[in-house]
Amino acid sequence: MHMADALVSPAVGGTLWAASAALTFYSARAVRRQAREALIPLMGVMGAFVFAAQMINVAIPGTGSSGHLGGGLMLAILLGPQAAFLVMASILAVQALFFADGGLLALGCNIFNLGFFGAFVAYPLVYRPVAGDGASAKRCSLAALLASIVALQLGALGVVIETVASGITELRFSTFALLMQPIHLAVGVIEGLATAAVIAFVRRARPEVLLVVPWPVSRGSNRLLFGGLLAATLLVGGVLSWFASSHPDGLEWSIFKLTGGEELALPDDSLHQQLASLQERSAVLPDYSFQSAEAEAEADEAQAWPAVSAGTTVSGMVGGALTLCLACAIGFILRWQGSSRRAAG
Amino acid sequence: MNASALEVSDLRFAYPDGTLALREVSFRVSPGEAVGIVGANGAGKSTLLLHLNGCLAPQRGSIHIAGEQLDSASLKSVRRRVGLVFQDPDDQLFMPSVEEDVAFGPLQAGLPMEEVERRVVGALQEVGLLHCRTRPPYRLSAGEKRAAALASVLALSPSVLVMDEPSTHLDPRARRRLIELLGALAQTRLIATHDLELVVEVCSRVLVLSEGRIVADGPTRSVLNDEPLMLAHGLERPHILQHHHPHRD
Amino acid sequence: MRAESRWLELGQMDDAARMDSAVHRLDPRAKILVTLAFLVVVMSFSRYTLSALTPLLFYPLVLIALSRVPLLPLARKLVWAAPFALLVGAFNPLFDREPMLHLGGWTISGGWISFANIGIRFILTVSAALVLIATTGMHRLCAGMERLAVPRVLVAQMLFLYRYLFVVSGEGSRMVRAAQLRAGASALSLRVYGTLVGMLLLRSLDRAERVHQAMLARGFEGSLRRLDAHSFGWREAAFVLGWLSFFAVARVWNLATLLGSAAMRAGG
Repeated sequence: MHMADALVSPAVGGTLWAASAALTFYSARAVRRQAREALIPLMGVMGAFVFAAQMINVAIPGTGSSGHLGGGLMLAILLGPQAAFLVMASILAVQALFFADGGLLALGCNIFNLGFFGAFVAYPLVYRPVAGDGASAKRCSLAALLASIVALQLGALGVVIETVASGITELRFSTFALLMQPIHLAVGVIEGLATAAVIAFVRRARPEVLLVVPWPVSRGSNRLLFGGLLAATLLVGGVLSWFASSHPDGLEWSIFKLTGGEELALPDDSLHQQLASLQERSAVLPDYSFQSAEAEAEADEAQAWPAVSAGTTVSGMVGGALTLCLACAIGFILRWQGSSRRAAG
Repeated sequence: MNASALEVSDLRFAYPDGTLALREVSFRVSPGEAVGIVGANGAGKSTLLLHLNGCLAPQRGSIHIAGEQLDSASLKSVRRRVGLVFQDPDDQLFMPSVEEDVAFGPLQAGLPMEEVERRVVGALQEVGLLHCRTRPPYRLSAGEKRAAALASVLALSPSVLVMDEPSTHLDPRARRRLIELLGALAQTRLIATHDLELVVEVCSRVLVLSEGRIVADGPTRSVLNDEPLMLAHGLERPHILQHHHPHRD
Repeated sequence: MRAESRWLELGQMDDAARMDSAVHRLDPRAKILVTLAFLVVVMSFSRYTLSALTPLLFYPLVLIALSRVPLLPLARKLVWAAPFALLVGAFNPLFDREPMLHLGGWTISGGWISFANIGIRFILTVSAALVLIATTGMHRLCAGMERLAVPRVLVAQMLFLYRYLFVVSGEGSRMVRAAQLRAGASALSLRVYGTLVGMLLLRSLDRAERVHQAMLARGFEGSLRRLDAHSFGWREAAFVLGWLSFFAVARVWNLATLLGSAAMRAGG
C-alpha cells in the first residue's frame, strides 16, 4: 500500500526522504563496490520484470481472492539487498511519477516501507536463516512466505505510524493499525505464496540463479557507514521536529511525533492526541480568521465562530472560487495563444 | 594474411555444461565481402558471432581482425572495428530514444560532441531513419527497430559488420528494404540467418555450419544449390534458386 | 483490463514529454527544484486550510497551458490515484465532529474541512508530479537527477528499468493471454502462476545478459555517457526564482481571501 502525498506532513515526509536517501547512497556505494558492471542492466531489467509481474494475478485457492508478487523479496533473493533496494526505489519512483501512486513527497515513506523492510530486514533476518543453503524446497517456500509476511507487516506498520505522526487524518493509531495489520497479513500471505511459487519454479528450472547473492560485502566498514547514515537520519528528523515545534504557527508542521513513535503505540494515548488536535486546531485559526479574532476564538471557540465566519469564511470561499476561475482562465488564454501562434507560424 | 578483414583459425568453444558449440572452425573473409552463415538451430551460429567481437573469448584457436589478434589488450579497438547487430533489436536498443542509442557507442568511445552528432545524423541517414530521431524504441515498427539497431552499430564506423538473423519478424516490404540496405553497405559483412533467399541476394559466399563445424564454404549459388548437402544439415535449397529468374542472372 | 490501459497511459505520458515547448526545453534541474519546492509549500499548510491553497493551482495549470500537454490523460490519472488518500481522509468527518464553520443554517465540522483539505492537497501534489514528468520525460529527468548528485548507479538502472518496462510487460501479457486462453480464468492458479512468472523471470535474466553483451559490443566500460544538451541558463534561473517567489507570496498571504474581500468590496 502506498502512502499518499496528501496524508504526509512535511516533517514526516522529510525525515523519511532523508532516511531513504541515506539508504540509497549506502546501497549505491555498496553496489559500485561489488564492481559487477553487468549488474546495472540486470537491475533495470529485473525492475521491469517486477513491474510486469505485479500486473499478473494469482488466484488464492479456496478464498476467491487474488494477488500478485510484491517484488522486494524476490529482488533481494536475485540481486542482493542493496541492489534490490535501489531497484525498489526506482520502481516506486516510476509509479509515483507516471501513475501518481503515492506521490513525490510520500516517495521517501514508500521507499522505506516497501524497500527497506523487504531488502534489509525480511531478506537477511528471515529469508536467509530460514531458507539456509537453499537445498530444501520446503524451507525455501516457508522462508518466502514468512519473509513476505514480515515485510508486509512492517511496511503496513510504517504506513500507520507515518500517517498518524503526520496528523493530517483523524485516524487514531489503534484504529488504523487494527484496520491495516490484518489486511496486510492477508496480503503478505498471498505475496508469500506467489513468491514461493516462482522460487519453486526457478529452483527446478535453473537453480544456479538463486545462488548468486553477494552478501555481505566487507561487513565492518559497511556497518559503520550504515550506522553513520542512520545517525544522520535521526539528526535530520530531530532538526525537523525541533523546527516544527519552534515554529508552530509559521509553518504549522502539524503534530510531528516521529521521535515519540513508541508512545503512539500505546492505545490509551488517544486522550493525549485529542488534546493535541484541539490545541492544534486553535493554532490554525489565524489562517481562517482576522488576527484579532484569534484570542476570542481560543477563549471560547463555540461563541467565537459565528463572528469569525461572517467575514473571512465568505471572503475565503468567494476568493477561492475566483482564484480557481482565474487560474483556469489564464490556462485557457495561454493555451489558446500558444495554439494560435502555432497555427500562425 | 594482411589482406583478410577477418580471419578465424581453429576456433573451439564449449559451454560450461560441456556442450561443444564450436569445433575447429577456420575461415577468412576479404575486405568488403558479404558472407552468409547458415545452419540449423543450435549449429553454433550465435556462439561464433559472439566470438567475433570478444563477447566470448576463444577457448582454443584465434581470431584476427585486419591482422590484429583479438585478445584482452586489443579488445577495445576490435570492438570499435567489429560491429555486432543482435538478433532481437530490443536487446540492442537499450537507451531511451533512437538518437541516444545511436550516440551510445560514439559517446563511450569518448568522441567530441560535434563528431557524435555528425555520426548520429550520418548513421540515421544511411538507414533512412532520420525522421525517427527522438522516438523511443517501443514506438518503432519491427523494420524501423532493425534499421535503428543497424544505425547504432554503423555510428561506430566499423569495418566489419556481424549480424545475427537480421530479417526475422519483418514483413515483406521491410525485409525488402533491409536486403537493399545490406546489399548497398560497403563494410565487410557476416550475416548469420535462416533466410536463405536473403543470403542469395546479399552474399556472394556462404558458410554452412553444422554441429559446431564448417561443413561447406563456397560461392553462395553453388553451395545452396547442393540439395543433398542442404538436407543433410537441416536446411533446404532456396526457392529462389529452384527456377530461373531472367533479370537476376 | 486495467493493467494494459496503464501501459497505454505510460505511452501517452511519453508522447507528451516528447512535445516541444518552452517548458519542455527548460533544464530538467529547474523543474525538479521547483516541483520539490512546490510540494514542500503545499505540505506546510495546516490541515484546515482551504482557500489559501487554491492559488497554488496556478502552478500546474500554467505549466500545462504553456507546455500544451493534453489535459485529459492527466485528469484521468488524478481520478485513478484518488481512492487511497480519500479513503483514509474519509475518516476525518467521522472522528472530528468539532463544529468549525457556520454558514447560514449549516454547521460544518473540522473533519469535513480537513477532508476537503486532503482532497485539494491531493490534486495539487499529484498534478505537480504529473506535470513534471509530462513536460520532462523519463530520460531527461534522469539526466537532471544525475546532475543533482543522485547516485549514478540508481539513475542508470532506472533508465534500463524504464526502457524494458514495455518489453518485459509485453512479453508477460502475451504469456498470460496464452495461459488464459487455455485455462479460461482471469487469475491463474498458484502452480500455473509459478511457472509463468518464473519463465518470465528467466527470460528477463537472459535478456539482461544479452543487453549487457550489446552494451559491451559498443564499448561500454562501466559508466553511461549520455547526450545532454541542457544547461542552466537565465531562463532556468528566471523560472526557478519566479515560481519560488510566487510560492512564498502564496504561503505568507492568503491570496484567495484578499481577492475575495476585494471583490466583495468592489461589488458592494
